[in-house]
Amino acid sequence: MSAISAAEKVDGFTRKSVRKAQRQRVQGSSQFAVNSSRPAAPEISALPQLKDASSTEQHALFMQKLQQCCVIFDFYDTVTDLKCKETKRATLTELVDYVSTNRGVLVEPVYPEITNMVSTNIFRTLPPSENPDFDPEEDEPTLEASWPHMQLVYEFFLRFLENPDFQPSTAKRYIDQKFVLQLLELFDSEDPREREFLKTILHRIYGKFLGLRAFIRKQINNLFLRYLYETEHFNGVAEFLEILGSIINGFALPLKAEHKQFLMKILIPLHTAKGLALFHAQLAYCVVQFLEKDPTLTEVVVRGLLKFWPKTCSQKEVMFLGEIEEILDVIEPTQFKKIQEPLFKQISKCVASPHFQVAERALYFWNNEYILSLIEENNGKILPIMFGNLYRISKEHWNPTIVALVYNVLKTLMEMNSKLFDELTASYKSDRQREKKKEQEREELWRKLDELRLQGTSAIQNNRHEMQFTYSNKNNNNNLHKDENTAAAITDRSESDTWAE
Amino acid sequence: MEVFKLLKELKSNLELEVHYLPKENGLSLIESTTIGHGNGVSAKGRDDQVEDLWSLTSFFGYSTQTFVLAVNLLDRFLAMMKVQSKHLACLSIGCLHIAVRVTEEECNVSSSHELIRISQSKFTVSDLSRMEKIISEKLNFQFKAVTALTFLHLYHAIALSHKSNRKDFLNLEKLEAQLKACLCRIVFSKAKPSVLALSLLMLEIEALQSADLLEIAHRIQAHLKISKADLAHWRGLVDQCMREYSSPECAKPDHKKLMWIVSRRTAQNLHSNYRCIPELPTIPEGAWDESESEDSSEDLSSGEESLSSSLGSDAEGLYFPSNFRSRACRP
Repeated sequence: MSAISAAEKVDGFTRKSVRKAQRQRVQGSSQFAVNSSRPAAPEISALPQLKDASSTEQHALFMQKLQQCCVIFDFYDTVTDLKCKETKRATLTELVDYVSTNRGVLVEPVYPEITNMVSTNIFRTLPPSENPDFDPEEDEPTLEASWPHMQLVYEFFLRFLENPDFQPSTAKRYIDQKFVLQLLELFDSEDPREREFLKTILHRIYGKFLGLRAFIRKQINNLFLRYLYETEHFNGVAEFLEILGSIINGFALPLKAEHKQFLMKILIPLHTAKGLALFHAQLAYCVVQFLEKDPTLTEVVVRGLLKFWPKTCSQKEVMFLGEIEEILDVIEPTQFKKIQEPLFKQISKCVASPHFQVAERALYFWNNEYILSLIEENNGKILPIMFGNLYRISKEHWNPTIVALVYNVLKTLMEMNSKLFDELTASYKSDRQREKKKEQEREELWRKLDELRLQGTSAIQNNRHEMQFTYSNKNNNNNLHKDENTAAAITDRSESDTWAE
Repeated sequence: MEVFKLLKELKSNLELEVHYLPKENGLSLIESTTIGHGNGVSAKGRDDQVEDLWSLTSFFGYSTQTFVLAVNLLDRFLAMMKVQSKHLACLSIGCLHIAVRVTEEECNVSSSHELIRISQSKFTVSDLSRMEKIISEKLNFQFKAVTALTFLHLYHAIALSHKSNRKDFLNLEKLEAQLKACLCRIVFSKAKPSVLALSLLMLEIEALQSADLLEIAHRIQAHLKISKADLAHWRGLVDQCMREYSSPECAKPDHKKLMWIVSRRTAQNLHSNYRCIPELPTIPEGAWDESESEDSSEDLSSGEESLSSSLGSDAEGLYFPSNFRSRACRP
């Protein structure tokens, strides 16, 4: 199957209809080659049911079944090993049930077997994407072929971790840094179902294994930095951020320096990622959580966002505006005062944006009561910043919805402080008049120069042999050709002075 | 002399102004009306409506003259006819539209449709034109009203034509803005325009502390035979109004709620999962986290170090614990 070319992407009509005709993409595998002939997997025969075994036999049977499940099957081949695949599937289902409902099954020897079975089934090198132009928003994701088994393995592992008898002190010998590292790298899977499981599993591991926490945080940072500055590709950013959200939520106060560095060096720069749309909601949540924990971070966060404000991508601008609103929803009034001026300068620019979604989103801030109360408290500073652009676009914007929203905003501001509003209106009008006058003067000057040029040309033709006479000293119009002296002499002195300025 | 001409004009306007005064008993009736469903227009209702008119005037870029005329038409109408409060919005927009057509250049006149859309009114274009017809008939098409603004302009012109050495600057725009603030209260509609304008002028002159201008103002007062009592009365009220206008306290807008209509796309965006509550429960950070860490040797007291060391540092620290077992993949 062919990847959708970039040209087809731009033409919005081809996607959906073409995609239906394609069969569902399946994720490649580093363990099995598609359509290759290989020896059949060893046969596995069904073992007796666990529920039927006596309590003494159960343990051994459990171990046997675990070992049996270490056999991996080729799901690209839809014909062979069907019976064995079914056996494994049934066994896995049974194991899931066994670990969920029974107490006392997690004895020490079981731990390494379980981690081994899980590692064997899920740890693999993820192949490069089938579709190099994969657009996560538009395209269907490539799914994992062996999901029927893998899903159950994940389910089993999760139940194992959540079992009331689970002992982190025992498990930590097997669920160690290497294990976790391989787990983290699986987050790059294109299959969202897999990432969903991984997310929950990692969350539980982080919660239970105190000794691994610092390592996990550091490795996630590594992956983020690699994504941001090297590869620009990683599918699991949103899931990581969700986990980080729950971690940030639990930070102890005062915040450690490490966490603040994480905010400044990783979370804020993440806003510059090309694929921001995929994880912006989670990212914004993390940022807001930080600010709720430590409001003194507000200034650096807002200044950071303003520094990275999107200049060419309107979709991102709308997202940033949404995030700013969320931040303003929780901001403390004292912190607001620190960032109000640079922030509203940016909002003023957004309001005047010719992209109607950006303008709408910025104008909609005035519908937020808490933001309105903050603006009211500081209207002396904010009104002058917003006024010029608002007034201008009320006359000039192409979109009638925007014009109506601008009316709402102007009306609200007018009622906040009539006197200041009137003063700003008066000074705006006088500024406009001055500009108009300057424009007129400039036009006039160009017109006169045009006339001079015509006159001068004819003067050259007529007065070829006339002597040139010198300029007056005060006339500093260097660019006028000397032959046009006759005409230059009648140039209005004030005009030439303004031109030379 | 120019001043002579201006003074003559003043006199003639003084004679005319009574014709454009709204009926006093009508205004008093409005002032005494309580706010309630089914009752007529109350003072607050009228005042709120006039504030809306000012917002619209300002938004569309119309002149103060338009606004003052619109308020004049509105007050005259309200003073003579009993109007239900539900019709007040249509009435005021109608007055504004008439005033716009009378005062502004044709190219700047906005359509009825646009007026209705921006003011978020509930009535239709045909309602509006019907109302305008009624207004015009009831007011006998007397649209070129003599208002306080007329007098303000004349006073200003007179003051300007007296070239004194000190060149005290009477800011006409500022006076117009103050007049506008006064007109937003129905009490000032009872004042004679000449007196109201003179009160504003005198307050401004007092602020500028110019003896020359004060003299001019007194001359005007004498010329127009305005009584001291009248002037004092209105000056007091204007003064109070100006204090409120200039106060840094914000008036909390409590009028009808504005409608915020956005495009479909933005509306979708707003409702999207921005406020999504994550499903993962919070993991509290413990003080004991770091001490139990296996890799406490490379622990991160300073974040800066940790991040730089984490980039590609495979050799350092206890990456693989001592009891690491290799996991051979079993076939």
